[in-house]
Amino acid sequence: MCRYFISICLVLGLGLSIQAQRTSEETKKEPNDTMIYKSPYGLRLGIDISKPIKASLDQSYSGFEIVGDYRISKRFFIAAEIGYEEENTVEDYSNSTAKGSYMRVGFNFNSYKNWLDMNNEIFLGMRYGLSFFDQTLNSYTTNITDPDIGIYFPPNTVTTPQTSSLHAHWTEFVVGIKSEVLQNTFIGLSVSYKILVSSKEPENFKTLYAPGFNRIFESGTGFGFNYTVSYLIPFKKK
Amino acid sequence: MSKKLLYLIVGIMTVMACEKDDFCTENPVTPKLILRFYDDANPQNVKAVQRLSIIGQGITDSLFTNQNIDSISIPLNSAASSTTYILKMNDGNGSTASNQVETVTISYDISDTFISRSCGFKANFENVILTGSGNWIKNITPINTSSLDDQSQAHVQIFH
Repeated sequence: MCRYFISICLVLGLGLSIQAQRTSEETKKEPNDTMIYKSPYGLRLGIDISKPIKASLDQSYSGFEIVGDYRISKRFFIAAEIGYEEENTVEDYSNSTAKGSYMRVGFNFNSYKNWLDMNNEIFLGMRYGLSFFDQTLNSYTTNITDPDIGIYFPPNTVTTPQTSSLHAHWTEFVVGIKSEVLQNTFIGLSVSYKILVSSKEPENFKTLYAPGFNRIFESGTGFGFNYTVSYLIPFKKK
Repeated sequence: MSKKLLYLIVGIMTVMACEKDDFCTENPVTPKLILRFYDDANPQNVKAVQRLSIIGQGITDSLFTNQNIDSISIPLNSAASSTTYILKMNDGNGSTASNQVETVTISYDISDTFISRSCGFKANFENVILTGSGNWIKNITPINTSSLDDQSQAHVQIFH
C-alpha cells in the first residue's frame, strides 16, 4: 500500500513539475517577429502520373486521373480528383473487367509548418468517392477442386460475357506529402485507405474492382496510391 | 495532434494491409453426392460392398479401386446434366470372372452460384435422380436429393 502511495506522489509531483516548466517557458517567450511571409492562394491542377506508368507496365490496366485542389485557408484545401480506369481482374476461377469513371471530393489539412516562404505539405485528408462503371464477367470456371480427389471431371467453363452497370460510393482517408520543386510546380505522393459505403453488386457475382477504389477486399476496404505533378495558378498572396 | 492522427492512420493502414483475402477456406466448394450401402435382405443394416471399384464413364482413371466400404462420396460432372458411373464389386473369390458390374446414371439440374473471389463459383446439383442397371444393386432410395448442400449425411441409400 505504502509503495503505491509513494508512486502516486511521484506521478503527481512529476505532473506538477511539468506544469511548472510550461509556465516558465511561456513567460520566457519572446515577442513575435514582425516579418510576415506571404504564401500563395490559388487553384492547383495536375495529373496522377502513376497511372500512365502503371498502364505502360501492366497490359491489363489503363487509367488516367486529373487532380486539383483549392486553398481556402492557411491549412485547409478543398481537393478533388476525377479519372477513368479500366482493369482486367484475373482470379483462379474468374476473369472480369471493370471500366468506368470516378470522382473523389474532399479536403486536405496541411499539418506541416513551413519555414519562411516555403510551400510544402504533409497533409491528412478525407474524400467522398463515387464511381460509375461496367463490370464484365468475361469467363468463369466452376470450382470443383476437392482436397481428397483433386479434379475428377473436367470443370465447366462459361465463356459468355455478362456485363452489368454498377456504381460504388466510399469514404477515404488520405495521407501524403507535397513539395514545391519549381516555382508553382508541385510533386505529391499520397496513399489512401478506402471504406466502401455502398455498392450495386452484379447478379450472382461480386464487384471485385471499382475504378477509383481499386481492388475491393473481402471486408469492403481498399487502398490507393497517387503520385502527382501539379501546377499552381496563384490568385493572390496572403 | 495532427502528428498523432498521422501515426494512427498509418498504423491502421499497416494492420489492414495484412488482411487475409486470398485463401478459399471452404473446401470443397462444390458438393459431392454421398451414397450409403444397405443390406437388401435386412434394410435396417448397413452393408459394406466387397472390393468396390468406381470409374466415371469416359474417364480413364478410377475414382478408387478395390475397397470394402459402406459409404462413398462421388463428384458429379458440372459440365453435363448427367454423370454415369460404373460400380464394380466382387463378393466372391476376387477373380475377374466373379466381378459384378453395375452402371448408375445420375441426372440433375445444374446451376452455378458465386461464392467469393478466391473460392469462385460453386456448382449446385438439384433434383438428383439415380438410375441403376439392376445388376447387383437391388434398390435405390433417395433421401435428400433436392439439393446436395448438406455434406454431413447420405443423400441416397443403395440396397444390395
